Amino acid sequence: MTRRAYAAPRLLLSARALDGATRATRERLLEIQERFREPKSLAVTFAKSIEAGAEGVLSAPSPLLREALADLEGTIPLFVVLPALQAQDYRLFEPGVEPLLQRARAQAGAASRLRMTWRGLARGAAFRGGDFAARVPLLLEAESHLFPPRGVAGVVIAAPIADVALAGGHRAFFESVARYVRARFRVPAAFETRNPGTMLRRLREWGARPDFVIGPMNPCGLGMKPAEAETLAELARAEVPFVATELRASGLCALDAGARYARAHGAHGLAPDLSEMDEVAVDLKRMRNGGQP
Amino acid sequence: MSDANLPSAGPAAGFLAPGDRPAHDAMDRGGEPAPVRDLRVAVVGLGRAGVAHSVMLASLEGCGLVGVADPRRAARAGLRGMGFAAPGFPRVERLLEKVRPDAMIVCAAQDERAGVARAAIDAGVPLLIERPMSRTLAEAEELVELAAARGVPLAVGHPLVYEPLFGRVLDIVRRETLGPLRSARSAMFVSRVFGPHPRRGPDCLDPRRLAGGVVAHLASDLLFLLVQLFGAPAAVRATWNLLYGEVEDELHGMMTLPGGLEVGFDSSWSVPGYPHASTVLELEGRDGKLLASDEAIELELRRPTPGYPTGETFVRNAEIAAPARFDYGGEALWLHDAAFLRWVAGGAAPPNTGAEALRAHRVMDALYRSAAAGGRAVELS
Repeated sequence: MTRRAYAAPRLLLSARALDGATRATRERLLEIQERFREPKSLAVTFAKSIEAGAEGVLSAPSPLLREALADLEGTIPLFVVLPALQAQDYRLFEPGVEPLLQRARAQAGAASRLRMTWRGLARGAAFRGGDFAARVPLLLEAESHLFPPRGVAGVVIAAPIADVALAGGHRAFFESVARYVRARFRVPAAFETRNPGTMLRRLREWGARPDFVIGPMNPCGLGMKPAEAETLAELARAEVPFVATELRASGLCALDAGARYARAHGAHGLAPDLSEMDEVAVDLKRMRNGGQP
Repeated sequence: MSDANLPSAGPAAGFLAPGDRPAHDAMDRGGEPAPVRDLRVAVVGLGRAGVAHSVMLASLEGCGLVGVADPRRAARAGLRGMGFAAPGFPRVERLLEKVRPDAMIVCAAQDERAGVARAAIDAGVPLLIERPMSRTLAEAEELVELAAARGVPLAVGHPLVYEPLFGRVLDIVRRETLGPLRSARSAMFVSRVFGPHPRRGPDCLDPRRLAGGVVAHLASDLLFLLVQLFGAPAAVRATWNLLYGEVEDELHGMMTLPGGLEVGFDSSWSVPGYPHASTVLELEGRDGKLLASDEAIELELRRPTPGYPTGETFVRNAEIAAPARFDYGGEALWLHDAAFLRWVAGGAAPPNTGAEALRAHRVMDALYRSAAAGGRAVELS
């Protein structure tokens, strides 16, 4: 069966620092969170980033993000990271998908719960408790009420979920979730990872083809697990587009150098984070123009 | 990884074991401390720690997860649902009988750990137990004694010493780079507990089933690092705050070393602004000062030492080699589990053996006794 092809983004503004999901220092994270405490300042930054050439914003659908998007007149394409949790919130739950599903179900409206029940019955998910392949789609359904009314441009499964399934070798999860996202939301499906080389290798071995993978890539090799050389070798062979984050390696290198490195080594797109930029619009424009102002 | 301008500090975590012997003395594949033979490993207890160890085992070459045990059917189904195909058992005895693993990682509830560990030791299975290794000091002493008597490798979960940055700090202190120390302060904070503990569920903190609160759960890892840095104290005194329940949410301690140096120790899981656990060490010696956090080391020296010049040296965590091959919450756990399995496979003992962990457990127990007695000094034998 052929599937509709979705193009992976070339340039995104990552707001993952606001979710606590970057390698930025604690002080930098607190500074960024303070700077964008007001939805209006975040909305202005989003609007400027799109003007500067970003194709969308990468973030979990937090209350702050939804307020910021609601403040805008135009539509901001959102690559929504799910589950909608702060990085540190995962420790509040027992591991696995069921506690997250319970939380999401409790917060979902009647319509979402009805859709969950229908989807669950249709997929036999009710009899597959704990199975990521069957139950994560229900989780996405339960959290769909958090999506902004318009502008969802992609669904990205957060690293804490994707990486545990990667370690578990759960091929069916990667295939079924990607299929579900495309069919249900009509947008690209992607996986966030902190183990980019391992993720690309396993996807290649399995023949699994999400629309893109997003993870760390920088000239210092920081976060390029299992090792920089192996990750670069996988990038050279990968059939799945890769979008590079953590371009500044926690401040060790300049953004331009990170972008050049990522592009030179096969990254399809870039997703610099709010915590990596001081002048968001200027920096994004320069990246859009391949390093020129 | 750009690490060229930094002094060599031993392989992997940059950690030097007592006697300057590298902790990971045989390295494979460009620095990877993999086991030297294939190992079949089991995990007992499938809470967050058990899942994290399962993830590490899946990513360590030369070992396989061959069985798990947890009395909760949902927990076993949950791990299977993540893709882990190892057979699950409700009881550890059944797992030992059916699977006969080469090693076991015990992440059961604190009050069940001693029983599980005894069963493993009786079966001759090397084990790594999450910290604290048991609810009471007496049980911990018994376990260490039993493991030694049977010749079974016993390690305790203390990943902080495997953080490459703190490995560098250990190296600096052991080389006496700062000269004789004059003061030492330490802290571990996280923003976690800001309300009454529920009476049931995963956040329930029932003192009858636990060794304690923030220290037992979190900061005992810092205590272990301090004991590795300075040795065990001669006496301690402490105060605590029970803000939301029956176990401590904060503990402030002072440890007096046999030579007279006082080491401050602060811990809290009820302070805002620390979404992730954060550790700080501040040392001052005759020849300089050191400030280390999870993010950087700041070293200020009055005279040059091998590897470090006079004046200020600033080393960011991101600059230090990070050899772990899978990231599920940081570097340390992968290195930690790899070192344990290397030991099981016939390699060198890791720093976090049961006997070493027992020293930190004794300090924790003394801090608790002091706090319970209103801050009275408690001597350690």
